[in-house]
Amino acid sequence: MQHMALKKIDQMSESSIAYGNKFLDYFPREQPNPGAENLENIQQLRNRIPKRILAETQERREIFISDWPEKKDPFTQSDLLESEEEEVQRLISQIKISLSLRYREKLANRLITLFKDAKEEDTDSLGITVDSLRNFIKFLQLNSNLKCPSISLTPEYNIYASWKDECSVFSVHFLPNRDVRFVILKPNYRHPERQIRVSGITTTDILMEMVLPYRVNDWISE
Amino acid sequence: MKGDKIPNYDHVARYCKPITVEDGQIQATAFMVRMGEESLSVNWLEFLNCSSRENEIAELRKIYSRKFNKVGTSAKIAVLNIGEVCEKVLTKSPDRRKLEVLHDPIENDPSHKNDPSHSGIYNLKQDDELIAELILELVRETYSARI
Repeated sequence: MQHMALKKIDQMSESSIAYGNKFLDYFPREQPNPGAENLENIQQLRNRIPKRILAETQERREIFISDWPEKKDPFTQSDLLESEEEEVQRLISQIKISLSLRYREKLANRLITLFKDAKEEDTDSLGITVDSLRNFIKFLQLNSNLKCPSISLTPEYNIYASWKDECSVFSVHFLPNRDVRFVILKPNYRHPERQIRVSGITTTDILMEMVLPYRVNDWISE
Repeated sequence: MKGDKIPNYDHVARYCKPITVEDGQIQATAFMVRMGEESLSVNWLEFLNCSSRENEIAELRKIYSRKFNKVGTSAKIAVLNIGEVCEKVLTKSPDRRKLEVLHDPIENDPSHKNDPSHSGIYNLKQDDELIAELILELVRETYSARI
């Protein structure tokens, strides 16, 4: 079964590389646990390759759909789901001990609640998309001076974090591919009755540089 | 009737799942569509033909308990005025998005999950975080989705 899965991964990798040789650069390997088993790596690759292909063209999408192994294969169904769930739980428990945040306990508890709520509503759901969660944790590691955000899940079970004060909003959607889409709503400092509205997409590592001109630190930093 | 445009002065209610609510506060994620979803599901309140908002909400709770496997304890109902939503999104979204709110009744459902007041907010896209935040600013009334 694993041999078949590997073969399928190889086929998908080839199609991605043929489409553009940036594939490997775009998703550099970065395991939170370097000693993780190959199976986990394979599963992560499987998650990433189709998403990239999906984003390209409708034609590619059709290829992908027809190329995807059927769900009746137990390797692609319950094993994959369980593995992702375990990874989400492992990441959440790591937050409690490894992140240097004052509110790490509260944050971890909030994520556990979201995970449970998502599973309660749809037992077949991922609970929280593991790569979105990784992206969020990476952001918090890079920016440990931020207040605790409100956290919710998008319809795709990605992390969506919001920092708000009375009249300003900074919200970030953590995508599974290390990108973020962000929104800023704040009063126009020269015309307080009017609102500045900014939205964009960037990589997580430079998000705070990107939004520096909008002084979001005024309401999101501790 | 299916496809009818709902008048601007009427109201719709959005069921906000527990994953879109924190400490009783509805988040913008409640107004996001999932990939492949044609519209944001809502219920047309005036169509319910109740005598008060309280009765409309009570009716909605019945609909939810019939439609969904489970209505979470923290799930909420957000009430929106259609005219306000369309006007704000048209004038404040970067691409001057023209939303449409259309009646989309669910009838003759084989699993007995009929929902005659079901409607949809159309022309939303999956990456519309800013529009979701704009809509969130217009939520004036919230209720628990569960009794």
